[in-house]
Amino acid sequence: MPVDKHANMEEKLWILEDLNMMYIRQIALSLQDSDIQKKIDHEIRMRDGACKLLAACSQKDQALEAAKSLQTCSTRIMAYMSELQRMKEAQVMQKVTRRSSDAGPMDDRLPCKGKVAISDLRIPLMWKDTEYFKNKGELHRCAVFCLLQLGEEIFDTDMVIVDRTLTDICFDNTIVFSEASPGFELRVELYSCCSEDDYSAGSTPRKLASKLSSSLGRSAGKKLRAAMEPGPCSPVSNGGGAPLLLPVPSVPGPKYHLLAHTTLSLSHVQDSFRTHDLIISGNEECSYWLPLYGSMCCRLAAQPHCMTQQMMSGCLKVKQQCGGDPQSWTKVHAVLKGTSLFCYYRQEDVEANVEPAFTIGINKETRIRASEKDPLSKVQNICISNHYGGEEVTHTVTTDGREETHRWMEAFWQHFYDMSQWKQCCDDLMKIELPSPRKPAPITPKQGSLYHEMVIESSDDLSSTVSDILARRMQELELRSQLGTSPTWMSAFEESTARCTGRSRHCTRMSGHSPCTPHRLPRSPVSPHRCPQLGLLSSDASLTSDSDSHCSTSPCSHHHGWPEPTSSYSLLSSSPSRLRPRTLSLDAKLSTLRGRGYGGGGTFQCSCQPPPSSLLAPLPISSCSPRSQHSTQTTLSCSSSTSSNSSSNSEGSHSPESSEGGPFSRPSPARRSLRNLRARLDPRNWLQSQV
Amino acid sequence: MSFVPGQPVTAVVERVEIQKLRQGENLILGFSIGGGIDQDPGQNPFSEDKSDKGIYVTRISPKGPADLAGLKIGDKIMQVNGWDMTMVTHDQARKKLTKKREDVVRLLVTRKSLEEAVKQSKGCYHKP
Repeated sequence: MPVDKHANMEEKLWILEDLNMMYIRQIALSLQDSDIQKKIDHEIRMRDGACKLLAACSQKDQALEAAKSLQTCSTRIMAYMSELQRMKEAQVMQKVTRRSSDAGPMDDRLPCKGKVAISDLRIPLMWKDTEYFKNKGELHRCAVFCLLQLGEEIFDTDMVIVDRTLTDICFDNTIVFSEASPGFELRVELYSCCSEDDYSAGSTPRKLASKLSSSLGRSAGKKLRAAMEPGPCSPVSNGGGAPLLLPVPSVPGPKYHLLAHTTLSLSHVQDSFRTHDLIISGNEECSYWLPLYGSMCCRLAAQPHCMTQQMMSGCLKVKQQCGGDPQSWTKVHAVLKGTSLFCYYRQEDVEANVEPAFTIGINKETRIRASEKDPLSKVQNICISNHYGGEEVTHTVTTDGREETHRWMEAFWQHFYDMSQWKQCCDDLMKIELPSPRKPAPITPKQGSLYHEMVIESSDDLSSTVSDILARRMQELELRSQLGTSPTWMSAFEESTARCTGRSRHCTRMSGHSPCTPHRLPRSPVSPHRCPQLGLLSSDASLTSDSDSHCSTSPCSHHHGWPEPTSSYSLLSSSPSRLRPRTLSLDAKLSTLRGRGYGGGGTFQCSCQPPPSSLLAPLPISSCSPRSQHSTQTTLSCSSSTSSNSSSNSEGSHSPESSEGGPFSRPSPARRSLRNLRARLDPRNWLQSQV
Repeated sequence: MSFVPGQPVTAVVERVEIQKLRQGENLILGFSIGGGIDQDPGQNPFSEDKSDKGIYVTRISPKGPADLAGLKIGDKIMQVNGWDMTMVTHDQARKKLTKKREDVVRLLVTRKSLEEAVKQSKGCYHKP
């Protein structure tokens, strides 16, 4: 039975939708305003396209983006429809009033419009510490974006994926609304959608729904469950009191929900960052929930047109301040803009960007009045008085004719009115940076997080990367164990850097400060083959400030360009242990794999021996520690440390292995404790200690 | 090995006595532990119940003292020298194991196979 009801509802909704469309078209026609109708049509087409895309796409990112466009289109359609309705109503009202009474000319002055720009949106999050220990190590991700609406203009920001490694949601877009009146209301809405694999129409996880319904008692739970699962007919967002004009077709796929909203107006405009409160809808049980701190920072700037455009310009005659005979009028071309009346000698100066002859301030303190008629010219003068530092300065201005004077007075009045309406925006011109048309440099996949200093760009082939790392560690360990302590080895590396001719020319000192460009080099017998090892420094160095090894390479997937493993293989007689390549989940934070003693990788190349032609290709793949550990970096550290000689490990010195790599390097106690601390502080690690 | 809050924990345990080995100025046992009430239990690869915050053996050094004493990887340590290990932080556990004055630790460990063994041996008296 319920299924039938739903089907019926859907049909009815479609019919309603068609009717609505006809109605809208009628209104648009009657208003003879094809502009809005074109816009509506455009948006509807976009929306249909988004629906189709959503139904067709398979990748999560695409689906999220399509759902976002769908959301934006729907909101725009609603806005246009409301606008249409308003216009229609206004028209009807006008007709009525015209008939009823002869309304005089409108006395109301309209303030000038302006540009409003909102940028650098940042919404802080407040994760509980339990968040780090939930979800079995998988990140609970949400896709969020902001919808900004001012009047008729609706813009959306880019979509950002948020998980618990982020402390803030940052939107880098600058959104500029071009026609805003001073009484504007900028509505900011934050939509979020859970980015898990379950994209069923009821976005609440089933388990939760059933749990709730079972724990709350049958009837209450059922009601709650029904409430939580959005029915097929609920519109995604019903802006305020706008009637349900066009129900959104229910499409499979991710659905965005309103998470928070706020409304900004003129009082929030300032030339710097400000924090505003958010009204949060939704609660912890929703799948799209994010723990918002409750506020939002942004920069809201406004440029009224009276500040940026010429409100009035024309020829004026200005009498100089220091009294004198009426003949000492200066003829100028005056431009009223912003907080001044710029007076140029000639009109061409304006375009030529020459400095004006003089400037008369027109601001809130200025007083303008028309003086009595000049007996000679029978034209009223305009007196402009300002207070400059305690002194009152008056400029007397006159024009050619009465209409001109009238127009100028009108312009001044309008200007004053604008300034009174736009209030603080007229004190100084606020800068609005227009977003550059070019797309900025590719965004790093993950935003910075507090707990990871380093982001690894190259993440194409993780499994080979990982086995690569393990292999290198292996070699390095064995080398160390054979050749003694590392520090001397390091020095050997550095010395031989100078010694090795041609070979190590490319060996810059891998002090971790120099990111080398990754080379993808073919096998060539010449020195370039050295570079791959350096090329492994694909990421920046803030790697390990406290790392003992100055060589901090980072995992990189360019190990193919590394034909010669390391000449030191010739030294190693035995490389018995082979590492099994591991496939780790993408969650493997390779960034926490400090390149401990990757100097090994670097040192190898500088034992000035001709590199053997034998390849690394039989990468030592060992089945040393056949444990199938799920934990990420711990796996690597454990396996590597096991593969090293147990004697070196069983030092008894406590060193947490979690993200630090095995104790094959001998850090100084101070460094070790720092590292320990950092490892311990990282809540995402599962600490292991050696006893 | 999951526990129900408020109910006593019962487990089948094995006694493992490990003699510490002196290496230089350190006394080592030759294994590694993971877990603790301050750690994320979901990342524990050895626990059956992923909310178990107990201390587990994550690695055994071959031929080390622990290996010789019969400790196995994946064991959950319940007690160390009488000190409880089921509700301790990671660091507390480590400290109890690495006391310099003690050169032997007596552990009570549990593992799945023990439970199974006991069940099987009892099982002949029960109908399946």
